[in-house]
Amino acid sequence: MTIESMADGMTLESLLKDIPSLIKSLRENRETYLTDAVLLGEIPAPTFGEEERVRLALDRFRENGLDDPEIDEFGNASGILPGKVGSSTILVMAHADSVFGPEVRHVLNVGSDSISGPGIADNAIGMAAIVGLPKLLDKLGIQLKDDLLLLINTKSLGVANLEGSRGFLETKQRPIRAGICVEGAEQGRLSYSGLGALRGQINLSLPSNYDWNRFGAAGAISHLTRLVNQIMEIPVPKEPKTKMVFGEIHSGSSFNTSPKSGMLRFEISSEGDEVVEEMEAQVNELCEQYSLETGLEVKMEVVAKRQNCGIPFTHPLVKTTRSIMSEAGITPAVDPTTGDLNSIILAGHPGVTLGLTQAENLREANESIKLEPLYSGIAQMITLLRAIDQGLCES
Amino acid sequence: MIGNNQKWLENNTFHHGEFWDILKLVEEKEKKGLKISLCIPTLNEEKTIGKEVLILRSELMERYPLIDEFAVIDSGSTDKTLEVASNFGADVYLASDILPEVGDKRGKGENLWKAIHQLKGDIICYVDADISNIHPRFVYGLIAPLIRKNEVQYVKAFYDRPLNYSSGLRSSGGGRVTEILIRPLFSLFYPELTNIVQPLSGEYAARREVLEVIPFPIGYGVETSHLLDLYEKFGLEAFAQTDLDRRVHRNQTTNALGKMSFGILQTFFNRLHAQGKIDQMPNMETFYRRFEVDDGVYNQIIQEVIEEERPPMIDIEGYRNRNQ
Repeated sequence: MTIESMADGMTLESLLKDIPSLIKSLRENRETYLTDAVLLGEIPAPTFGEEERVRLALDRFRENGLDDPEIDEFGNASGILPGKVGSSTILVMAHADSVFGPEVRHVLNVGSDSISGPGIADNAIGMAAIVGLPKLLDKLGIQLKDDLLLLINTKSLGVANLEGSRGFLETKQRPIRAGICVEGAEQGRLSYSGLGALRGQINLSLPSNYDWNRFGAAGAISHLTRLVNQIMEIPVPKEPKTKMVFGEIHSGSSFNTSPKSGMLRFEISSEGDEVVEEMEAQVNELCEQYSLETGLEVKMEVVAKRQNCGIPFTHPLVKTTRSIMSEAGITPAVDPTTGDLNSIILAGHPGVTLGLTQAENLREANESIKLEPLYSGIAQMITLLRAIDQGLCES
Repeated sequence: MIGNNQKWLENNTFHHGEFWDILKLVEEKEKKGLKISLCIPTLNEEKTIGKEVLILRSELMERYPLIDEFAVIDSGSTDKTLEVASNFGADVYLASDILPEVGDKRGKGENLWKAIHQLKGDIICYVDADISNIHPRFVYGLIAPLIRKNEVQYVKAFYDRPLNYSSGLRSSGGGRVTEILIRPLFSLFYPELTNIVQPLSGEYAARREVLEVIPFPIGYGVETSHLLDLYEKFGLEAFAQTDLDRRVHRNQTTNALGKMSFGILQTFFNRLHAQGKIDQMPNMETFYRRFEVDDGVYNQIIQEVIEEERPPMIDIEGYRNRNQ
């Protein structure tokens, strides 16, 4: 496949040919990004508590000579690497927040062929690849025509509802040509569409005058279980593809005390926005019905909601990404996302999410990444960046 | 002496945050024509050495050329310490290969001592290999006072900046051996050295000309002997210390600490003997010295501890007469 560049004649084929030497150079220069992965990863950054980690990212942006390094009102750190022409901008971003709170010991271990520790895959290594990008491009002798807008965004996970990336893209007025979201794992991941999704939290509590002698009386755990069973009766359509996940449940404190309150967190995701709306209404109705029948207070709160969005599989950005992955020895796995890519696409820009390397025990304290695949993972990111810069991903 | 101590504390105690501008340090170093070597002594440290080499080398050699030479000197590890260290770009040496004509003794002090011969720097910085939360501050925080102040010869690290809690001040703590062995001994025999907050910390930097004129115990006593010998030769003014905040490392068993204390005591009493403090035992000090920190200011707290004794009861007339 040969796609002639509009600009200076560089073809996709020539970019693909560079990948093996790029991988070699990235292996030789690995300390440029591995050090940042460790230093960033050892700073706890739970969602809504990313300040210190983001501050280090900003320091790195400054040290690496970016223009306009700043932290915005949403807590995001960004900076610009000016291009030769600078008539448009390519956005490359990674989220700063992790699922681990400050109570978790954030110590990473570096071995010859792996790094392990909480949050290294999601998303310290992703952040490091972006923070180190200006140095890497410099070492590799790559100068882009477009401006490169680097973003370490906050408030991506869980209940944050993509507040950081949404806020940034709503307020940052730049002619963005395309966006790349970078995740540490899993290598091969190719997301070009965002799923419609709803994240809900059901709070259930027994009133203070709850009649324990009443027929069907029970503690909060029993009630939550019954409610989950009823919610599971809601039909989940196969088309459009839809999924419901019960992700978190909390109630009780001991072996023999009936708890009086409980909380359930769930997510509905679907390729059909109308399905999400419909299922939201059904869960709401079930909660109301359950409340009336039992005398309990049962309330559903929508903590995050997003619409379906995306670019087609045939979009040149997706096609080019697949070609690059293939040349880098990476097998693509199409994976619709509920992550920050939604913000890029909903803001009207084409974009993809890439995974850099292979990970184990994702989101566990002993999370780890493999180093050898990382070099081809970063090579795919840089090659895609060059392809976008060369106008090879335009629809 | 309290006034002198306070003055020394004010002038010679630093926080690594004062030296955050590494680029400026590099400029000052180059202006003075100094070469700086970093040495990590190792013995079976494969779990932590990779991270130390990666971070210190890439931050302090690649990003900012503060360090001119980075060596791992090993006592004969049987794990992958050397492979991992070399993988991440450190120069790796076996202590036994350095100055082979003087033989091979096994111990951290041996590696530190042979580093003086192997490395070329005007300043040598030693950092232990078992620091889980390694950060460039562990090196630039120690080197900076030597670059900035010509009169400083030797810089010690200390850790865990004490905090002012609502319930009161938290004592500035060293390790267990520091608090129950070294600080009482220093309070008795070398009161001025009690200004060193953590005399046993394994991280320090010094000028070649002072390292080459002192002996090195090969085992546990090396940190103590450095302090005693340099104090004897150059006085307290030769020292500085830097607060490096938190250090995470493996915990030692009480047995291991006992063994360490025994080694330190040997070194200590050797010095007392050599300096005539045993043969002609001076009056022992009765002031116990420790630290507290109040709003970032280090204060030496001095308490008089007099171990008064009662004579055998039989010597007491009232006792002897009690049944009469």
